[in-house]
Amino acid sequence: MELRIGHLYAHYLNIYGDRGNILSLTNRCRWRGIETEVKTLGLNEDFADDYFDVFFIGGGQDKQQQVIAEDLQARKETIRQAVEKGAVILAVCGGYQLLGHYYRPEGAPDLPGISLIDAYTEAGKRRMIGNVVIKRNDGSTLVGFENHSGRTFLGKEVEALGSIVVGNGNNGEDGKEGCAQPVGKGKVFGTYLHGSLLPKNPRLADEIISFALSRRYGQVDLPALADGLEQKAHEYAVSLKA
Amino acid sequence: MPKANGVALKDMLAVVAGKTAAFAIKTFGLGLASNLPGRIAEKMSPKVLSSLAAQAERGVIAVTGTNGKSTTSGLVASILQAESLKVVHNRQGANLVAGITASLVDAASFCGRVDADYCLFEIDEAALPLVAKATPISIVLVTNLFRDQLDRFGELDTTAKLIQSGIEINKSTAVLNADDPNVAQMVATCPRLFYGIRQLAVESTVKEELSELSYSPCCGVEYEYSRRFYGQLGHYSCPACGKARVEPQIIADQVNVGAVKSEFLLEYGEHKLKIELPLPGLFNVYNALAAAALCYAAGISAQAVQEGLCRYSTLFGRSERINLDDKTLLIQLIKNPAGASQALQAAAADKDGQLLIAINDNYADGRDVSWLWDAEFEQLKDKKGPFIVSGKRCYDMALRLKYAGIESGEIIVEPDLSGALDKALAELPSGKTLWLLPTYTCLLELQKIMKARGCKLSAT
Ligand SMILES: [Zn+2]
Repeated sequence: MELRIGHLYAHYLNIYGDRGNILSLTNRCRWRGIETEVKTLGLNEDFADDYFDVFFIGGGQDKQQQVIAEDLQARKETIRQAVEKGAVILAVCGGYQLLGHYYRPEGAPDLPGISLIDAYTEAGKRRMIGNVVIKRNDGSTLVGFENHSGRTFLGKEVEALGSIVVGNGNNGEDGKEGCAQPVGKGKVFGTYLHGSLLPKNPRLADEIISFALSRRYGQVDLPALADGLEQKAHEYAVSLKA
Repeated sequence: MPKANGVALKDMLAVVAGKTAAFAIKTFGLGLASNLPGRIAEKMSPKVLSSLAAQAERGVIAVTGTNGKSTTSGLVASILQAESLKVVHNRQGANLVAGITASLVDAASFCGRVDADYCLFEIDEAALPLVAKATPISIVLVTNLFRDQLDRFGELDTTAKLIQSGIEINKSTAVLNADDPNVAQMVATCPRLFYGIRQLAVESTVKEELSELSYSPCCGVEYEYSRRFYGQLGHYSCPACGKARVEPQIIADQVNVGAVKSEFLLEYGEHKLKIELPLPGLFNVYNALAAAALCYAAGISAQAVQEGLCRYSTLFGRSERINLDDKTLLIQLIKNPAGASQALQAAAADKDGQLLIAINDNYADGRDVSWLWDAEFEQLKDKKGPFIVSGKRCYDMALRLKYAGIESGEIIVEPDLSGALDKALAELPSGKTLWLLPTYTCLLELQKIMKARGCKLSAT
């Protein structure tokens, strides 16, 4: 088996240790004897809509985000097709914002998103910074750190990734964090959590890996790994205040 | 306002109050006396910083930037002393307004007299505009601009703007790192002097680090490099419009980097000086080069530069060596990806050395530990263990090592720093070096631990 990972705009959106998410995916596959291919997808780079099993897109500074938003418009349809055909996309922070309809900055024109999910983001006055703990529907927790002033609002049909236990999440108002939304046969995970996200949340990492593999290999049962250090780091983060 | 000996009475009283506070703190062991005396003096006379600093014969010079502020200003002080100049220096690294004021209060006589040629201040990037408003700074040196503690300033561009506005207030001479595109484009409206590295004796093998990529402000695209030294430092140009690194005036050439010391040829005006720098790692070569450039702008002799750099003795926690019986402790503060990657490169080059990494997430460390994922811990992959990790976020650190390709069995987790130090020293063979990489508050804790063990340290 092989997991094909497309790392979108790795050279532009890479603050807050997002590389850890790729390291989590590749290592957790490698430890199970699953091969991985990581391809960095840059500006003006076309790709087939049926090649990648999982896409990752991180966050960047404002200027880089503008450059990316423009390029992303040209890849809007490819990405939608890829997800509808079964790919998973994990988007963190700035990347998450661009998956919605638009990002509305303070006193500047809107940055268009790709409307992959029904959501929009507006610049807020207050920067939301600190530790975050959220609870998912199945009762499990996710931990991370947020640092954003954008406030994201999900449409009624869009499922959030979890509910806030500690921190602000999507907008600091509705108690929701991120999104976990099926689109066609695929799934879109968006979140403000970095830290990095996946290393300390191995359960989510495995959920993404098995979902992404099922696109080409059908149902895949991943053998358990020795996650002692991961659990300790997770538990410590759960105990933190915002 | 009544004046005594030309010093305003109010300022005199502020100095006396600050000194009394410092004395009380020291006498009653109330902890590090770096900020409080400054705050008290400021309260009594808001102009105390400005009137004390104004007494320096040759003015105020400043060092700012993300990494290397303490070591670089320490090197500058060493050079100025070699030139027989008297310097007031916030040596304790308290680099906000209160800490700078405290260093002046400490240096002043009880009647508010400051007898100095230079005030040399290491200044936090965000505090620079505040200090510059309080006192004219003749020269501002900017070391580099890396991603650091993003939870504090928001973004890199914000930090750059703070530094620029700090320089523009007094139209200070800006001494800038030509190799750092984030720095070199600053303050085109002020007089500028550039420094940079021409060539390493052995080409750098460091691959590009995703976290330290840099984008041209002209076209918004990624820079291209003909030489890359580390992070975003190197010989760069914009592939879209061709705008490129400016040729520096103060140059380090034939740079030979070692785990204990480095050698290079310093082009200082018409002089070519052979420098033997008693510090490890390329990042310290940049610190020395930056210090030399600042001194060039201040008109210091080549002889003093050579002497001051070669005879430098380290500050606590900045590449400091401590001998413990037959073992050596090398302490290097880490606080962001670029600095940590450099420290790791130096540690990895020491084949028999071992590592203790201590990570806290207090405010002064940066509360967000995700920067660990941007530092190149992969450089340790082929190094022999064990690796000891400590501090409040020791499990985050352990996880980072695991995902960098280090076997879990090689990683020893000990949250308590004193216990971790014992374990590390017990694991370390005689005659070898323990590389201790702490974040800031772990460093402070380490200082207490070493003191309790009766170990002699250099001043903070
Ligand atoms: Zn350009």
